[in-house]
Amino acid sequence: MTRQNGPTPAVRTEDLWKIYPQEPDPIEAVRGLTLEVAPGDFVTMAGPSGSGKTTVLNLMGGLTRPTQGRVWVGGEEISAMNGRRLARLRLEHIGFVFQAYNLLPVLTALENAEFTLLLRGVPAEERHRRVRELFAEMGLEGLEDRRPAKLSGGQQQRVAVARAVVGEPALVLADEPTANLDSATSAALLDIMEHLNQEHSVTFVFSTHDPRVMERARRLIRLVDGQIERDERTGPLPGSP
Amino acid sequence: MKTPALLKLAVRSIRRNARRSALTAAAMALGLALLIFSRALAEGGHEQWIDSAVRLGTGHVAVQAPNYLETGRIEHRLDRARVEGIQEALESPDMAPLVAAWTPRLAVNGLASSAASALPVRIEGVDPEREVAFTTLLNQHQEGRYLEPGDRLHAYIGLGLARRLELDVGDRFVLTAQTASGEVEGQLVRVAGIFRTGIQEMDEGLVHIPLETAQSWLGSPGALTTMAVVLERARMTDAVAETLRERLDGTRGIRVLGWPEASPDLESAVRIDDYGDYIFHAILFAIVALAILNAVMMSVLSRRREFGILQAIGLTGPDTSFVVFLEGLFLTAASGLVGMVLGFAFTWGFFRDGLDFSGFMENEMEFAGGVIDPVIIPVFRFDQVLISVLSILIIGTLASLYPAFRASRLDVAEAMKFEQ
Repeated sequence: MTRQNGPTPAVRTEDLWKIYPQEPDPIEAVRGLTLEVAPGDFVTMAGPSGSGKTTVLNLMGGLTRPTQGRVWVGGEEISAMNGRRLARLRLEHIGFVFQAYNLLPVLTALENAEFTLLLRGVPAEERHRRVRELFAEMGLEGLEDRRPAKLSGGQQQRVAVARAVVGEPALVLADEPTANLDSATSAALLDIMEHLNQEHSVTFVFSTHDPRVMERARRLIRLVDGQIERDERTGPLPGSP
Repeated sequence: MKTPALLKLAVRSIRRNARRSALTAAAMALGLALLIFSRALAEGGHEQWIDSAVRLGTGHVAVQAPNYLETGRIEHRLDRARVEGIQEALESPDMAPLVAAWTPRLAVNGLASSAASALPVRIEGVDPEREVAFTTLLNQHQEGRYLEPGDRLHAYIGLGLARRLELDVGDRFVLTAQTASGEVEGQLVRVAGIFRTGIQEMDEGLVHIPLETAQSWLGSPGALTTMAVVLERARMTDAVAETLRERLDGTRGIRVLGWPEASPDLESAVRIDDYGDYIFHAILFAIVALAILNAVMMSVLSRRREFGILQAIGLTGPDTSFVVFLEGLFLTAASGLVGMVLGFAFTWGFFRDGLDFSGFMENEMEFAGGVIDPVIIPVFRFDQVLISVLSILIIGTLASLYPAFRASRLDVAEAMKFEQ
């Protein structure tokens, strides 16, 4: 595929396939997916269970390797990267938000949120300042020293979002982030992510079943059987008035 | 750059999973404590066996004339000048603190005869005052008394010999042996006392008589066949023997023997017992290693999701395995410390006065020429404690390697699906 001139996409895939070997018939989770996500966009991938949404996010984040095809993140091809470079890329350029929050149970809320900064060698003072600012923005003040088990689902997911964005990544991949949350909490979380997208130009790519998430998206991609069934822009392009 | 984060994670994981950590550490700490206790007991037992055997024999270190050990004949004896040189060396300021006791002996093989019978015996001319501090024969005293300074024609004999020759305290009998001049001469003596060691060979075949009587009778005034030396600790044998050799270097006709050379049977017996201990320790190590491997492995398997998260947010596979390895290392180090304290406290707290095995012994037990004391006092040896601690640390560390390797081989996307 030949790219048009323009800003480097936050993430790009080209003829992406993921086939899980299984007897008697291998599972084709993703089938020849080609797409580009513009930097600063707020994109939702929707589709029924088994449509390949999570697999596409995992491929974009380098958590799993494609059977065929290529993936670029911020202009760097990740499909051929070794494990060390992939880990470095995830640490510095990609943030993840998972359905099940996936905070580290042995760390406090603040320690979870600052962990990627600690891995990057950011001094403690700077780490704490950035996390506290985010916590203030996200209504997590006073919860810094609580362990995940002592936080509600919504609070845990907000800490997970804080962890994902605290390192100012170019791309945040969120796998059904509102699936375990009630309406009010979901709305509050989406407000936060929209705010981060608009104020900090963080690119978000969601997978979701949740109509409330789809309503907020500026681009909605519908996946069926590992292929794009429909791709429509529902809001303005990033940077446009 | 990641190391502080990985250290923090490892320490937190240990602290916040206190029960799991405690169970893993307990296996190592108890294993080490048991190892220290068993080594101290074995060492104490060996010290006692060696001490008992050498005090009934020729000491930890024996100074003799060359060939005496092989022949046992009086022509291979130390003359007065050599004896004085040996005494001077033993009483020197650097040697004296290492020496618990020394005793001069003039010993020959001979015959003991009474009106009832005659038996081959080993006749030892001894200095009663020095011998009292050296021998354990007196611990098994039965009747009469031991030799005393000023005694001339007295003998201290075993119960077996007394029975075979039908002798009681005060009875007379004749000792016959080849003298220094090659003649066979007899010496009439009177029974001063009777001992019973439980070792048939000694009870029927050992006679103590005053040294001066022996020297006079055997035509060897001032001469000895053995200068027997008992040390404060058996393990100092080689060092003391070497120092004595250096001291006596240039004095011809002297041979310094450590107890392993003088009593090869005893040395073999101690080695065999050591091998038994090594097998026991190998089994103990294997059990501890499996316990650690199992605990760390279960921990890794139950934390697949956590490791998946770590790799998703930026750790590499090797980073993850480093966290697991660090956890194993910290647990092992802490367990080593606790195990060492526990081992010392248990051994010293409960058994400083000895562990009494007399309930398992109906009669005296003989061990390579010595009598086993049923009460074993544990003895700590720094090198053995160090080896035990290092062994547990190495085993704990090695047992963490495989789980660490497994943690690095995760399929991150699959691990994230794992229910904790």
